[in-house]
Amino acid sequence: MKRHLSTEQLSSFVDAEIGHAEMRELELHLEACPYCRSRLSSMRRLVVEIRQMERATPPRDLAYQVKAQVVAHGEVRTLERRVRDFFRSLVFDPSVRAATAMGLGTVMVAGFLLWQSVPPVPPPHHGANVLKVSTTFGETPLGLPETTSEVAGREFVWSGDRWVQKGLEWRQPDARVMLASPEGQAMISRHADLMLLLTDGSRVVMRYRLGTVELSKG
Amino acid sequence: MGVATVSTLIHSLDVDVELAERHRCGDTQAFNEVYARFEEMVYNLAFRLSGNYEEAADLTQEIFLRVYRHLGSFGGRSTLKTWIFRIAINHCRDRLSRWRPLTQPLGDDPGEGEVTYADPSRGPEELAVAADEGRRVAEGLARLPSAFREAVVLRDIEGLSYEEIAEVLGVRIGTVRSRIARGRDQLRALLEIRS
Ligand SMILES: [Zn+2]
Repeated sequence: MKRHLSTEQLSSFVDAEIGHAEMRELELHLEACPYCRSRLSSMRRLVVEIRQMERATPPRDLAYQVKAQVVAHGEVRTLERRVRDFFRSLVFDPSVRAATAMGLGTVMVAGFLLWQSVPPVPPPHHGANVLKVSTTFGETPLGLPETTSEVAGREFVWSGDRWVQKGLEWRQPDARVMLASPEGQAMISRHADLMLLLTDGSRVVMRYRLGTVELSKG
Repeated sequence: MGVATVSTLIHSLDVDVELAERHRCGDTQAFNEVYARFEEMVYNLAFRLSGNYEEAADLTQEIFLRVYRHLGSFGGRSTLKTWIFRIAINHCRDRLSRWRPLTQPLGDDPGEGEVTYADPSRGPEELAVAADEGRRVAEGLARLPSAFREAVVLRDIEGLSYEEIAEVLGVRIGTVRSRIARGRDQLRALLEIRS
């Protein structure tokens, strides 16, 4: 091998991320070429320096915060699923379908308001938390996809990094709206349960006033 | 890949799939195990990509909420490790691009020799680590185009193989090879200029 090693070859050589034949070829060149040997050793020094950087230690209360958030989220999801399951069991009868849709909206909003009013980790002896609702609707149905969610009377699909209303997966939003803005406040006052999706910082793309709107917390 | 490596991988995939299965069935301990296994890695990734301890804590929290939300749908097509790193990288890109422009578009071929700078308002003291040498490297790393920084962080700080990095970033191994090499090369140049 007559040409000097490329930066890419030196870098892959340091990582041993190279096939046997090429490895052997590079070794032969390195044996004969002081210039590439010196480049290799400076590449090695750099890699050692990067790897020796001190690792950051997560703050002690981080685990607690994450679990608290997850518990709160889990309860909302459970409520959501149970409500959905309950109403699904009704909608087989077309005559109650319209009434059911209205009922779902009401219960979801009620659930949202209830959920908003409780602390992130409800103490187990506390009576007035979201879990209380669950006794009305029986067991959590298993096997429902985790990545779809029915809120505001619509189905949302988790798509890459945001919730997208079913049917709008391939559309670019016509407008982007911050929750704190007047438009955002107007949207949330009409569809309060959207907060279920927004709460962890996810964005939501939905049909709103004849346009496709992306709503986010900011 | 040797026989031992393959069987280790299959074993760890089984463990991963079992964790997801338990999570689906409502076993809360499953998520706790996942959290304990990956907290430190995710936090360090978030710290090196954001250059800020508080931001790293927020990012880690949000990433794990996403992990929690989707763990049930993890099917074992990749390892849990690369699956979580993929969520983490995507979330960091998404969040960090909101408060500062990406230092480099994430295309596969950022221009040769281009060095752009991260927001200088993220103070160097936030990037500081105990050793002075470490601080210099950390500052250099923060100045790399984000596509290169991601690749170098995944390789040299998180210790992922090229194959794993390709899976996390959703690019070919050749691209991983080139991003790591160019990231290191730019970092070396930056450190030389400053020494
Ligand atoms: Zn040479």
